[in-house]
Amino acid sequence: MAENRRLDYELVETTLENGLRVCVQPDPQAPAVAVNIWYEVGSFDEDPDRTGFAHLFEHLMFQGSQNVASGEHMSVVEANGGSVNATTSTDRTNYFETVPRGALELALWLEGDRMSSLAITEENFAAQREVVKEEKRQRYDNQPYGDLLELLVAQHFPATHPYGHLPIGSMAHLDDATLDDVQQFFHDWYRPSNARLVLCGPVEPDEAFDMVATHLGGIPALERPEHRETAAPGLPPQKTVTHGSVPHPLVYLSWATPPAADTDHLALDIALSILADGNTSRLHKSVVRSRRAAQEVHAASLPHLRSTSITTFMARPSDGISTEATAAVVLEELARFGEEGPTSEELERAIAQYERDWLLQLATVEGRADLINDAWLTHGTPSHVNRHPLEVAALDVDTIRDVVARNLLSEPHTLHYLPTTEISS
Amino acid sequence: MTRPTVTLARAWKFPQPEVFALPSGMEVWAFDLPGQHIAALEVVMPTSLTAEPRAIEGVATVALHSVDEGTRSNPDGRISELLELQGASLHGSASQNHTLLGADAPVHRLPEVLKLLAEVLHEPAFAATDIEHHVEMQVAAFDSRIASPGWVAKQAMRQVLFGAQSRLGRPAAGTPETLNAIGQEDVVSWHRAHWGGSDATLVLAGDLAGQDLNSTLAPLDYWLGNSATAETEPGLLRPSQVVVVDMPDAVQATIHAGCLTVGRSHPDWAALKLAGHAMCGAFASRLNLELRERKGYTYGVGGGFSARNQGGQFSVGGSFRVDVAAEALTRLLRGLELSEPFTTDEVADAKRFLVGIAPLTNETASDIVRQAAVLASVGESASFVNDHFAALEQPDATGASAAFRTHIHRDNISVAISGPASVLVPQMQAAGLDPVIVS
Repeated sequence: MAENRRLDYELVETTLENGLRVCVQPDPQAPAVAVNIWYEVGSFDEDPDRTGFAHLFEHLMFQGSQNVASGEHMSVVEANGGSVNATTSTDRTNYFETVPRGALELALWLEGDRMSSLAITEENFAAQREVVKEEKRQRYDNQPYGDLLELLVAQHFPATHPYGHLPIGSMAHLDDATLDDVQQFFHDWYRPSNARLVLCGPVEPDEAFDMVATHLGGIPALERPEHRETAAPGLPPQKTVTHGSVPHPLVYLSWATPPAADTDHLALDIALSILADGNTSRLHKSVVRSRRAAQEVHAASLPHLRSTSITTFMARPSDGISTEATAAVVLEELARFGEEGPTSEELERAIAQYERDWLLQLATVEGRADLINDAWLTHGTPSHVNRHPLEVAALDVDTIRDVVARNLLSEPHTLHYLPTTEISS
Repeated sequence: MTRPTVTLARAWKFPQPEVFALPSGMEVWAFDLPGQHIAALEVVMPTSLTAEPRAIEGVATVALHSVDEGTRSNPDGRISELLELQGASLHGSASQNHTLLGADAPVHRLPEVLKLLAEVLHEPAFAATDIEHHVEMQVAAFDSRIASPGWVAKQAMRQVLFGAQSRLGRPAAGTPETLNAIGQEDVVSWHRAHWGGSDATLVLAGDLAGQDLNSTLAPLDYWLGNSATAETEPGLLRPSQVVVVDMPDAVQATIHAGCLTVGRSHPDWAALKLAGHAMCGAFASRLNLELRERKGYTYGVGGGFSARNQGGQFSVGGSFRVDVAAEALTRLLRGLELSEPFTTDEVADAKRFLVGIAPLTNETASDIVRQAAVLASVGESASFVNDHFAALEQPDATGASAAFRTHIHRDNISVAISGPASVLVPQMQAAGLDPVIVS
């Protein structure tokens, strides 16, 4: 790849009369076809007093429609040797199935049936509300540090901000929700004009477009819904100290960084990799190995489409060192990096790693269809997947240094997560 | 619009490797997969954790994790940097009966990657500071695991099935007590005694056209020695139990149920795989439909039959709302009694899924290598997959039901639960179960 960074996936787009946008990436060698729909609705679009609706639909969309029984969508795809699932983020809800070529038409029919006639009854709404509560308990409440993400988000955005709550939402809000509320949410957001459909696999574009038109073209057109204007910017840097029943003290330093589509975003991703990805990274060498201020340092970003993203560094202090002292060492090393930048070899290593991971994601039709839909929503065009490797290759050490200097040298939000027995420093 | 009919044309087969031996004795399985430009490989060593001295359990894990920190030729992390420059990433696991060290890298970089990998395998530096760091990381990982209800229930189940006196019943990566006893010399000795190329298998997959494998793999020629044959422990049949590990703050009951069973060489294996999928493997499995979709007790129930080195295991589990935990477990156990035999449709769906999903679960070089490495580690050949798929076509609903009833009955099912014992124990007792609190 380093020698030949051009990717050249054939990507053919069309828009149906009802507004559904479709992109086909034909791949005759692939073992199956990925059907990947992104509805442009996420927790960002919820009323802050009625959260959790977008994610609730991830469950309700499998509860049946005019011609499909409750749970049958999943079972019929599985019984045809396919895989099927859905995910919800702040900015989109993603439904996907990968099926043998001979079951493509069935998959499109299933998607069309639920887009046009989702059947939400009191009974399945009540059952799925309980399932969502168990999901929240299993994934958040019953895990050490399970409220970490919520605390981090609360440092950056007030509860009234569209990004001020997690997609899983409030269980109290879900308890208060009526069947009418839920049906209204479906009506507002689940319409052809608010969806992008990507097909990736052994199918010719013309044939795919015909099938899509047959099974999804008859759904009535409704205007594309507007997303609300992003409210006030995020909160100023703040310090939070929290105690919990957790095994280790941790400190999180985080910054508001540019939205997902901003050109800084990619450079920051590479910078995070150079700084904190693995035992060869800059902060591992300096903070962990040389200065022994931490046992581990990691970095992550939480990208947002319509407002600032969150970039965070986590450190677990060495024995006998406070979270405050560890944080200070991390900040010193970041400041040094913001002045000196990476070596050319550090950048070369990070790019080699990034390219391998990127190619691995593209290696399956499911992963590729998802990246195409991500490119489409974030950058406005599916073809961004073909351009992306060139953008990565074009990064230089000055760009990496500058993006860190621009985004990560201001005062951070600090979150100290301490075991209940630990004394706050 | 009427429901479209499905036409499934299946010609998929698990690819077959070229198999040959290196001068060291190492067996190579090379899968040529056109179009797979990111190659994957696994070095499979038949190193059993039963060989770990009891006082320093976890040494196999520490040796694995610190092996690429430095080599004699490229110390202090330089070897990892050189691998990264080649776009390679290493991963590994030290499990009960084998140690795996694997890599992903662009195919055209393989010659250089193999040179570096041979260095990692052959001459790790194991610097004292690196060992100290990895011991600390494993102790921290242990502390994180015991705070996680999922791991706690799973470990309790291992202890019930194998007993604390068996290596299989104790944590694979050791405990703080045994980890803190590990020194640099222990790691060096473990590597010297239990990492060897002569009885290892190298599984490699990718678009290998144009690769001169003899020369690409030549750096491994000098990696000699035996990894020590896996010592397997006899499968002692222990009495079934219901145990609870008290986690007073837990907001769910995490429940695992299961037992040891026959394994992949048994004539009932294919029927059991189908039955397990219909019972608790599919989204539309009996237990998931009842406990998640109809009752809303859980985010999901999953499980099935899995092969072990010798024999196999049935397991099923999920996390349940505390106040309905006994009710959920009662329904789960009743479901396992199979009072209604599997239907023809259930078994047909399971067949179509287990066979039909294969092209998707084997789409990349990494997928193929992962599957093949498991087979290599238990002494099966790569043809096992296709033989197994052929076998899956055979059982009918009667056969699947009969196999399930033969191998799974209420008396041999053990249950391990993590959660608040003060609530769970009375609840379980009221439901007619006899739980024992364990730590």
